[in-house]
Amino acid sequence: MTPALLGNLGVSLALAFSLLGLAMALLAYFQGDGRFLKGAKALVLPALFAALAAFLALEWALLTHDFSVAYVARNHTLKDPLWVTLVTPWAALEGSILLWGLLQTLYTLLASRRALDPWRASLVLAVLFGIQVFFFGVMATIASPFQTLPNPPADGMGPNPLLQNHWMMAVHPVLMYLGFVGLSVPFAYAVAAMGVRRYQTWVEETRWWTLIAWGFLTAGKVAGMWWSYEVLGWGGYWAWDPVENASFIPWLLATAFLHTAIVQQTRGAFKAWNFAFVTLAFAATVLGTFLTRSGVIQSVHAFAEGPVGPAFLGFFLLATALGLGLLSRVNREVRDTAVFRPLSREGALLLGAFFFAGWALVVVLGTFYPLLAEALAGAKVSVGAPFFNQLSAPIGAGILLLMGVGPILPWRRPRPEVFRNLYFLLAVLALGTLLGLLRGYTLGASLAVGLFLYNLLAIFLLVREGVVARVRAGLSPWSFLENHRRVGSLVVHFAVALMGLGIAFSQTYRLEAEKTLYRGQAWEAGGVRMELMGVRALDEGRRFAVEALLRTDRFGEVRPRLHFYPQMNSPLPAPKVVYTPGNDYYFLLMDFDREKGEWASLRLIVTPLVFWMWVAGVLMALGTLYILWPVGRAEEARGVSPA
Amino acid sequence: MRGKYLLGLVVILAALAYLIFGGLGQNLVYFLTPSEYLQDQARYQNRPVRLGGLVKEGTVRYDKDRLELRFTLTDGVAEVPVVHKGTPPGMFKEGQGVVVEGRFQGDHFQGTNLLVKHSETYQAPKEGWTPEEVRKLIEEAK
Repeated sequence: MTPALLGNLGVSLALAFSLLGLAMALLAYFQGDGRFLKGAKALVLPALFAALAAFLALEWALLTHDFSVAYVARNHTLKDPLWVTLVTPWAALEGSILLWGLLQTLYTLLASRRALDPWRASLVLAVLFGIQVFFFGVMATIASPFQTLPNPPADGMGPNPLLQNHWMMAVHPVLMYLGFVGLSVPFAYAVAAMGVRRYQTWVEETRWWTLIAWGFLTAGKVAGMWWSYEVLGWGGYWAWDPVENASFIPWLLATAFLHTAIVQQTRGAFKAWNFAFVTLAFAATVLGTFLTRSGVIQSVHAFAEGPVGPAFLGFFLLATALGLGLLSRVNREVRDTAVFRPLSREGALLLGAFFFAGWALVVVLGTFYPLLAEALAGAKVSVGAPFFNQLSAPIGAGILLLMGVGPILPWRRPRPEVFRNLYFLLAVLALGTLLGLLRGYTLGASLAVGLFLYNLLAIFLLVREGVVARVRAGLSPWSFLENHRRVGSLVVHFAVALMGLGIAFSQTYRLEAEKTLYRGQAWEAGGVRMELMGVRALDEGRRFAVEALLRTDRFGEVRPRLHFYPQMNSPLPAPKVVYTPGNDYYFLLMDFDREKGEWASLRLIVTPLVFWMWVAGVLMALGTLYILWPVGRAEEARGVSPA
Repeated sequence: MRGKYLLGLVVILAALAYLIFGGLGQNLVYFLTPSEYLQDQARYQNRPVRLGGLVKEGTVRYDKDRLELRFTLTDGVAEVPVVHKGTPPGMFKEGQGVVVEGRFQGDHFQGTNLLVKHSETYQAPKEGWTPEEVRKLIEEAK
């Protein structure tokens, strides 16, 4: 038994089980026969085991340096440390698809364990097996991770050095895939609901699944931003790169759904919207993969190069057609009867969903415009970051505004006492903005301060309301914490407000200074005094490192580095970032004296509040976890309301 | 009641469309070679441009104390002088294919970002660049 043999066997078996499962699930639905459903369910676990075997076979091949496997020869080298070897399965395309497939089987297993009526259970399984068929089909045919080489090399090329330059790269892709794949379950639920024409109940179950996926996506995105900040060496965390956009679009649509789903749950409205959001969010994950893996976005001509691109495009079209085809039926049959007032919870939620969907539209347009321009006018262009920033700022501000007021507003119509809170909130917003302006901040940054304080007050008012209600009912004030959904969502909202503040300030105020320092020379920039003590080179086996030794007055010794990897012809920066609550000090070594180590060119970037963005990212993940945390039986028995 | 919502929606969409297409026009980054620039100079003055070509032999001047890099970019047909503030990237050398992001300002191109190397698998042609290869370079630079 060789790794390649086991791997191919695993992929083929997973494909076979998935195909069989798809057939069984479809038979169960169309024949209305429970035995087929049982059969389909029985195939879920074997498919998972087959996928797991394939994944472990890849790890096996990597760990035993089996360079007869093409993937190993291309992405692994004997010099790799163990952790890099272990994460190499998702360092390139074929392995990523394998990981995706494995996670899909895992989600299918989890979804199949939830109690559902047989009709919908069959359809859910059919959709999930169908997705598995696609992924394992791709692996079995055009992107096999286990293709073998007739003449294996003695050593491989090693993974992309960008991936081994920071441990975050071990975490970020897995989180992203957990998020992407997680959106397949809501899609399956939506298709099932549309299939059996039961348009109401699916939302509750789907919200839970979407929240799981959303939590992973959020954590994955923030991890990616952090990685970009710490590794890419340009001192930024977001560049509106097509790859970033591709994962931002499903995040926006999933966020929209999480909010409109609440309206459908409580007021039975937005049914068609909810189907649309879930379908498009899933489709966007596939489209994102297509975009980032096929190279199509850099040039239309790359289209013919990889066979994986068209396969994903076809799958995207199929998923979208299935979802939207069913949706047109929903649209004919569903009438949202509720009347909406703009100044109500549902009004704010609807408007918020429009903002998220509009934002997604903007990102889609900006990302695809180069394709359009090339196809129509033959001009080669790209859309610059300022376009996205200009549009995202007002949209983001609008969302922050709605986020504060939305939860304060009651359903249906505002009560008179709510207005007092509203005026209070608006006063704080205006006051905070004014305070910012008086301190000399730009209008945008001042507005961000105002919006942050406004959201803080809104959260305080909501917590007070919840606590007071419980005390009046004779309960402990701490019992408010048992309302997981409320508390968790407030934590997430607080984190979003904090993130908004961090983004506004880090984008507005950024100080950059560059200088070539000679040994012993001192330099003062951005409020830091530093002195170059020397430059030294280190041999770290898989790479060379060059360090500049800087003595600073505030942070002691700081050592920004450059890493030289044999696979890469230009060095990778390893900036040294000193986080403080106010500013980030980002030290970057750009160039050095190769002969005598007498001088080094350095760049210092000082950015405010970036530290809080990472805090916000952690809080978002924790808040999501708190919402999802199972409520104990005691509370269920006491009937604590979920709202 | 319905009409009012519809009107609001139309207003929002119109504002969005205005923002999008107005913003797009101003923020398009053109991918150019030196000869394409010379054909229509006025059009690209002070607009974001991604300029690609080869570093002409014997034109590189780097002042490490002022951190200023000057060189001439060529595509075999036309040439453009480039001034870039910052250190030369690791693989920057004469005869190398590079992409510079920046703007045309008067007689020279003011670079803000200098890209030498591209996707990991990209191999620069050894000798004799064709305009198509320069094009490919510009598009693939990341």
